[in-house]
Amino acid sequence: MSALLRLEGLTVDYGPVRAVHGLDLTVAAGELVALLGPNGAGKSSTIGAITGLVSCSGKVMFDGADITRMPAEMRVERGIAASPEGRRVFANLSVAENLRLGAATRKDSTAMRADMARYLELFPVLAERYDQPAGTLSGGEQQMLAIARALMSRPKLLLLDEPSLGLAPLIVARIFDFIGRLKAEGMTVLLVEQNAAQAMRFADRVYVLATGQTSYAGPASELVGSDLMAMYLRS
Amino acid sequence: MVDAVSSMSGRAAPRRPWWLTGFGGGLVTALPVLLIGLAVMMLAPNYHQNLAATAAINLIIVVGLQVFMGNSGVAHLGHSAFVGLGAYGMAILATPVMMKRLSIPNAPLGLAQVQLHPLLAVAVSLAIVAIVAMASGRVIARLSGIAATIVSLAFLIVVHSMFLHWPALFKGNQGFFGIPQVVGLPGVLACTVAVIVVARLFRESPNGLQLRATAQNAQAADALAIDARALRRQAWLLSALICALAGVLYALLAGTISPRIFYFQQVFMTLAMLILGGMGTVTGAVAGTLILSIGLEMIRSLESGVTVAGIELPAMLGLSGVALGAVIVLCMSLRPQGICGPYELDEMLTRALRRFRGGR
Amino acid sequence: MEYLVQQLVNALAFGSEYALVALGLAVVFSIMGLVNFAHGEVIGASAYTVFLAAGLGSPAAAVVLAVLAAMVVSVALERVAFRPVRNAPTTTGLLTAFGVSIFLQNLFQLLISPRPQAFSLFNGMSTTWHLGPYAVSSLQVMEFVIAAVAMAALVLFLNRSTLGIAMRAASRDFSTVRLMGIRANRVIAAAFAISGALAGIACVFILARRGGVTPDMGFSLVLKAFVACVIGGFGSLVGAAAGGILLGFIEVGLLAALPQEMGGLKEALTYVIVTLILLYKPEGLFGARRELGDKEF
Repeated sequence: MSALLRLEGLTVDYGPVRAVHGLDLTVAAGELVALLGPNGAGKSSTIGAITGLVSCSGKVMFDGADITRMPAEMRVERGIAASPEGRRVFANLSVAENLRLGAATRKDSTAMRADMARYLELFPVLAERYDQPAGTLSGGEQQMLAIARALMSRPKLLLLDEPSLGLAPLIVARIFDFIGRLKAEGMTVLLVEQNAAQAMRFADRVYVLATGQTSYAGPASELVGSDLMAMYLRS
Repeated sequence: MVDAVSSMSGRAAPRRPWWLTGFGGGLVTALPVLLIGLAVMMLAPNYHQNLAATAAINLIIVVGLQVFMGNSGVAHLGHSAFVGLGAYGMAILATPVMMKRLSIPNAPLGLAQVQLHPLLAVAVSLAIVAIVAMASGRVIARLSGIAATIVSLAFLIVVHSMFLHWPALFKGNQGFFGIPQVVGLPGVLACTVAVIVVARLFRESPNGLQLRATAQNAQAADALAIDARALRRQAWLLSALICALAGVLYALLAGTISPRIFYFQQVFMTLAMLILGGMGTVTGAVAGTLILSIGLEMIRSLESGVTVAGIELPAMLGLSGVALGAVIVLCMSLRPQGICGPYELDEMLTRALRRFRGGR
Repeated sequence: MEYLVQQLVNALAFGSEYALVALGLAVVFSIMGLVNFAHGEVIGASAYTVFLAAGLGSPAAAVVLAVLAAMVVSVALERVAFRPVRNAPTTTGLLTAFGVSIFLQNLFQLLISPRPQAFSLFNGMSTTWHLGPYAVSSLQVMEFVIAAVAMAALVLFLNRSTLGIAMRAASRDFSTVRLMGIRANRVIAAAFAISGALAGIACVFILARRGGVTPDMGFSLVLKAFVACVIGGFGSLVGAAAGGILLGFIEVGLLAALPQEMGGLKEALTYVIVTLILLYKPEGLFGARRELGDKEF
């Protein structure tokens, strides 16, 4: 099983503070891997290192290439897309324009339009608000927009950073329904979450992070319902 | 400033009152200036005394600039307007009537017939400047940082324009002469020391501290019910008065003034001095002025064309401007906090002493 | 009536010039938070380039050269002087730009001359046209028309092209724009190039009107352009353009209303009026009143 994404000895420092200590992590094609842990565990720093917005040491290997030193913009071209923590939709741009920027690296305008139509169908609320500034959308709507925007670049690997953050449980469930669908269609996903229960619904494998180090790594099936879960996750 | 050493022994040291820190710190910061000034007074020929007096006046301007910029975090590009107002105030009020009949015979309000004793003229000038500063301060304090900066520029242009285009009162481009030259290096030096102490007092005062807090994080300061606007008005007023004092001294030193002195050249130079030394501290103002005053003197001699090692160099007008611009740009990209950084001279000495004693 | 029409054209022409320069400032500020005081020196550099290349002989070529030179200088300035302070606080950037401005103005003095240099290549642009019964300056009409066209092109670019949309996004959230795979440096360079192009167009008209080049020609214009930005609401592109036109009207209006001897006070009074506007609306005419703690939008 060749890994699509491989992190070797990933270390992230913010000045004197070390957020991630020599993390090893793999994601195989078609897998949904969950990265769990409480606040401050280093999950978002890990995502930052993969997207390239955060500098790191160690190795980041993607699709057979060493992208550790590659600038963030180029990684998107290679097939990494992210829905960042806090969603970060472009509030002053319309929904349509947000989606269009998501596809900025693509040249095939017909297929792009088809994709956009598909996501608007999947998320009718986005179609409703097509021309509205994204800042007027609710939290859940913005999360759907952020994910759709990331998908517009037809990525090989989708990074989701805390999609449930600040959202009501009902909405969270719907979003994770959608994530499940994505996985079923073959998308490779690295999911960072504090909400372990939802994250475990579709996860193949799980890494649990605490203060920058892995405290558990293994198949999700082992973790679910076991004593380990209570011990590691307190949920 | 809690004494870290004594708190380690389990007893909280009494906090030194701010006015003591300000006053003492001010004296420490002013000490190098005083020493250099005394040395020049006693040892140097007249020409150098004049140079030193001009440099000291520039120092007062830079300190005035620091009082506003350093504490509020807002770039102030119009301070020379207040320098000019102080200078012209003296020119109009203190010049002998005989001279005024020649230069501004048609002055409004019968000012051509008025001649005040220099000290009284100083008081009246500063009072007028205070009124202008309070009015303009209301506008500046209301605006966001950038808008305030641009309005401060607009203020400079308006005041300059007034000096230039109201010849009945200001004599216009030709230069207002005949101001009694009653001030020399000793007087300027005394004022410089006083200004440094006042600036430090403001900086260490609760108001100064709160103002600096608003510069760091406006929202948090707001949450503490700190009235940022009122504080900025205070800093603006104090800054204006200090700059006006510099103008007063300049008029009384030079005897002749003209509008172009109090315009962009002075703004650029004093701004560069403050940036080089460090905007955050009065020490920075002092350091930057000292370094650049000497540097600029050397460059100016190059500008007018000197002979070096037998080779006659051509006049290179604009060289000092190029140097000033380079200083500002390099400072901002390499060391934005300036040479002196965030600590005042007395604070730096205390820290060094503590490290030396504590053996840390 | 003829007088009124001429003054109207006057106001629109000056206003267009301010609007062009103010827009250039606003584009850069909205994306990078940089108050580009050195923008005036882009105009100066463009003017000196065209002056030094006066042997060209062809006004059309000179126009193209002016715009290109302005774009090149603008992008180069970003690369050399502003990239190191890209992520620094606004005041740092502002002061850096100020320093660059001082540096360049004096460099022009040093390398070329502190004295005004005559430039007559564009003098042919200034003729008299007849709009119906009224005689107006061709230069002024062209200035307004071309400025309007340039602004329309800018609006189109910002709304239709991916790079333009990215620029608008970058004005709110730069790092997420990078997350879309859009090169940060490309967005910034585009902003400076657009800013330069607008300045270049303004430069052509200034040269045509004045017939000469001075080291500080851009500086006083940029100050007024900044004032226009502030009246309109700093960071707003619409505000910059509107502020520029308004400033043109204020200036021409004052000049027409003031008696001859007080003409020199026109500058001062303009700024006084501007200050009054700001007293009434501190965030500018098109600026949104932002309270501390307002959530993003």
